[in-house]
Amino acid sequence: MKIAVIFKQVPDTEAVIKPDPAKPGAIGEGDIKFVLNPYDEYAVEEALRIVEKSPGEAVGFCIGPERSEAAIRTVLAMGLQRAVWICEPAAVNADVISQGRILAAAIKGFAPDIILCGREVIDTQEDALAAAAAHFLDMPHVLNAAKITIAGDKATVVREVEGASLEIEAQLPAAISCSKGLNEPRYPTLIAIKRAKTKEIKRVTLAELGVQLGPVKSRVAALKSPPPRPKGVRVEGEPAVVAGKGVEWLAATAKVI
Amino acid sequence: MAGILVWAEASNDGIRKAAREAAGVGVKLAEKLNAPLAAVMCADKPDLAAKLGRLGFSKVYAAAGESFSRYSSEAFSAAIAEAGDRLKADIYLLGATALGRDLAARLAARLDAGLATDVTEIQWDSSPLTVVRPVYSGKLLAVTELTAERKVISLRPNVFPAPAEQERSAEVEAISLEDVRIRAQVQKAIQAAQGALDVTEAEIIVSGGRGVGGPEGFKVVEDLARALRGAVGASRAAVDSGWIPYKHQVGQTGKVVSPVLYIACGISGAIQHFAGMGSSKFIIAINTDKEAPIMGKADFSIVGDLFKVVPILKEELGKAMKQ
Repeated sequence: MKIAVIFKQVPDTEAVIKPDPAKPGAIGEGDIKFVLNPYDEYAVEEALRIVEKSPGEAVGFCIGPERSEAAIRTVLAMGLQRAVWICEPAAVNADVISQGRILAAAIKGFAPDIILCGREVIDTQEDALAAAAAHFLDMPHVLNAAKITIAGDKATVVREVEGASLEIEAQLPAAISCSKGLNEPRYPTLIAIKRAKTKEIKRVTLAELGVQLGPVKSRVAALKSPPPRPKGVRVEGEPAVVAGKGVEWLAATAKVI
Repeated sequence: MAGILVWAEASNDGIRKAAREAAGVGVKLAEKLNAPLAAVMCADKPDLAAKLGRLGFSKVYAAAGESFSRYSSEAFSAAIAEAGDRLKADIYLLGATALGRDLAARLAARLDAGLATDVTEIQWDSSPLTVVRPVYSGKLLAVTELTAERKVISLRPNVFPAPAEQERSAEVEAISLEDVRIRAQVQKAIQAAQGALDVTEAEIIVSGGRGVGGPEGFKVVEDLARALRGAVGASRAAVDSGWIPYKHQVGQTGKVVSPVLYIACGISGAIQHFAGMGSSKFIIAINTDKEAPIMGKADFSIVGDLFKVVPILKEELGKAMKQ
């Protein structure tokens, strides 16, 4: 099978994120450690498991600025065979639907059976990429997969919604976004990390892809910090006493009960 | 002025709360922009469509038939796009539920629209329409201008008020789609155990972390959640240790929640956890470690052993809830 994996580099979950005072809508990247988007690890792992079972090719596709090379080396070290990289600012700064269009153009020639990506990118919290790429490639999509079973030209996907799990059957080719719990992503071995250095990373431009982006669809005008929480009350002492104070506070201040 | 279309997501027992909240936003925007407003429903429930008048709609597009008995993004987005064409809509509103987000994504691609997901604030008098949505899991808020002609907006549940219901019925216009191709569709739904509330929908969440110590330790957390008719949450540490399934995880790599009350039991409150629950209205933390980050951020922090404090809370609150 041929699997396309869409991935992105994002700030580490433990990073403290602050707006860049000089650039409205951007974050200060100074001290931040960047990593492969955590959900994309599940997509890479799933792709590798699929091609281990049904031989083919698993190729990565990434939109991201120059610093993204580390994340690209990570997915190659995990086992993707090669990667395609679009790093023009126009693509990096595009809205999620336009990025779906760009990735669709980049993926088209590869003609994958399945497109995988993480269920969400944890920086801009966009979760529409799989659906957008699928739309522009005229494929169905399923988001948030907790389990994927492939049989013939169909994938059966289990996903969680509020209060239920859904079983969704998708005709291949299809795009599927991957949730935590789908698998246990592997750690690359030292040998794999070394080997990844010789794997192909192909840079492509929007012009080469024949993509012309229309007028800007959305723009982050500013990033602001959420309002600070008011200083809280602290209690210490006998369990019965502190629990009693908690109940009192809930009734009087929070008015929850 | 072009119109505003609201997706009225149906549940087993009516219109979902998140969809009613989207209706509230639609009504207010329609007033501000002096724009026509309609709802679109994709469900084989004709009687429900007429009832949408109560939420302030005078017009409802109803896509019914076999294709709509089970969810598919292809049929549902086709129906919404068709309703949008008829209304000449340029603003599409959905509740940011699991399926709402799935549908918003496909619809925005189909309409080549500007998409804003999980919106928590709308700047009502802005032009171009400007919305606020959490990014970096709530570590920051992005003030986002939707400059595209067509805009698809999904609204975070529990943030916007649902409109006051009124005695009014809506004119229902049927949409039938002949040749919609459905290549991915829900085959079956396995309902969670009765009474098990999802963290994203709950108004009260009781969460356990490393301090719970193991899967058995979650029992006190679950007991308190049940007494408060709330949902059970968990930190990444507890989920990664295999003590509780992933669907309970709150945080940057789990679910982002905004309940009225969040009770954190034995959770240190690492930055990635706080990112997922920092917008809760009230936070109570119970921890033996007074230096734990969550203790500095909670509205009410109890320094103590959760195994001693939480059962007493359960007793006392359980009594108070019954009154």
